[in-house]
Amino acid sequence: MIASGPIPVRIHEIEQLSPTLKRFAFAPLHGGPLPTPSAGAHVLVTLRHEGRVMKNAYSLVSPPESRARYEIIVRHVAQSRGGSRFLHQSVARGDVIEIGVPGNLFPLAAKARKHLLIAGGIGITPLLSYVPALKARGARFELHQLCTADEAPVFEKLLAPHAAGEDIFIHGNGRAAFDLAGILARQPLGTHVYTCGPRALMDAVITSAVALGWPSGKIHRESFGDASGGLPFKAVLAKSGIEIQVADNQTLLEALEAQGIAAPCLCRGGACGECKLDVLDGEVEHRDDFLSAEEKASQKFMMPCVSRARTAQVVLDF
Amino acid sequence: MSDQGIKSRPKYAPLELDPAGRHHLLLVEGPALPAEALAEGFEPTAFETWTVVNRSALLPVSVVDTQGESVRPFRANGHLFSALEERLARETMGLRLYAIGSEPFLWDVFRIADKAGMSRQEIRLAHAGSKARRVFCVHCRTYGEGVTTSIFTCGGCGANLFVRDHFSRRHAAFMGVQVDAEVPGAVPDAEELYA
Ligand code: FES
Repeated sequence: MIASGPIPVRIHEIEQLSPTLKRFAFAPLHGGPLPTPSAGAHVLVTLRHEGRVMKNAYSLVSPPESRARYEIIVRHVAQSRGGSRFLHQSVARGDVIEIGVPGNLFPLAAKARKHLLIAGGIGITPLLSYVPALKARGARFELHQLCTADEAPVFEKLLAPHAAGEDIFIHGNGRAAFDLAGILARQPLGTHVYTCGPRALMDAVITSAVALGWPSGKIHRESFGDASGGLPFKAVLAKSGIEIQVADNQTLLEALEAQGIAAPCLCRGGACGECKLDVLDGEVEHRDDFLSAEEKASQKFMMPCVSRARTAQVVLDF
Repeated sequence: MSDQGIKSRPKYAPLELDPAGRHHLLLVEGPALPAEALAEGFEPTAFETWTVVNRSALLPVSVVDTQGESVRPFRANGHLFSALEERLARETMGLRLYAIGSEPFLWDVFRIADKAGMSRQEIRLAHAGSKARRVFCVHCRTYGEGVTTSIFTCGGCGANLFVRDHFSRRHAAFMGVQVDAEVPGAVPDAEELYA
């Protein structure tokens, strides 16, 4: 049987990796193994704080075969909508929280002859589950981690257990010193590239790869969208006439859920397409990676898990 | 009987350059480019071209002709295939592979490219010349080459095989199924279909 409901877990361990990074280990509350995640999987973590319910997606950094505990790494972001701040400041060892069954929008390509992994900062998290899986398969890979000079030792330590004899490189000297085009140009036929990190880095990887003739099917990006908040706006649900206020630190999806409206969703990061809504009026500030450029320009759809209204109000066919 | 309504039969389009590629290797089963397999505006100089001349005469390794076209002739298909394997093993991302020729040639190329990690997005195939089929006997697993008739006798087990439109990319061949399995000897006349 495949469990689909939320899984209660106990915070088993919290490790401060750097001033802004913490690793959390979850153990199942009722014993028994957790569902098997695949490499690159994420879980939705439900956070309840001051009457608000937030669901944030975090990549699992534990190896895929680890079913006694899952681990995530969370960066405390100053402009956080509350999720990372809550995890960093209010969650303690022994607390019980809920997580969802792992999903995966960033799986490894089965047919790849080589895997090129390029991460920036905390974008390393999905790759931390890739590396042991690739080593177990005997697959060929090359990993580049870009970060600030002071965080380089943190990522070195995280990768150290896997690093012996592998092509793992930490670049702490900034983007300028990183020869992205050179790396992409010398990859053997049959390589797949995976990138996760700041949007500017992922865009640079994709643009350079395409310019060098990489086919789109061999370029993979992880994206948890950009749910960093914005101006408050009002959403009008045309079918029911319900009006919903979306606060500055809340997504439209969260605002719908706060009203008890069961809106469909999966990744909550603008990647899967599950939450797509039809827009009747108002202008959308698109922050997803799912809609095509034409669909975005048409202003007929929006992904409420990440996107916001640019106008004071947006009318939805919902 | 010629249209068996089977969808696995590959479709081909006239050959065009994929501008997204960084370098382009064109394989031709024959000594020259067959015009009917090329899209309008096809620019041969954009490609590195390998041809099969089916001759034993000593060939220069590579010829660059007056128009700046780079052409490398091979004695036979097998000769080209082994050079292709070696070449792909050394290639980097950005290559596009094109092939023009009979179906068995195209899908042999496809298999070699697939083994080297290339995806459908990086390979373009255009059919030209003979429609003769390679047929795989599903009973004894023997290949028959150059089959032009609806029914033929398997060289491996001697069965009378009906040539189905079912094309297997793994075998780069059409499937041949015994036609008189139920009533031995009840073999319809063979029609010339794939000349
Ligand atoms: S929930 Fe996946 S795109 Fe919105």
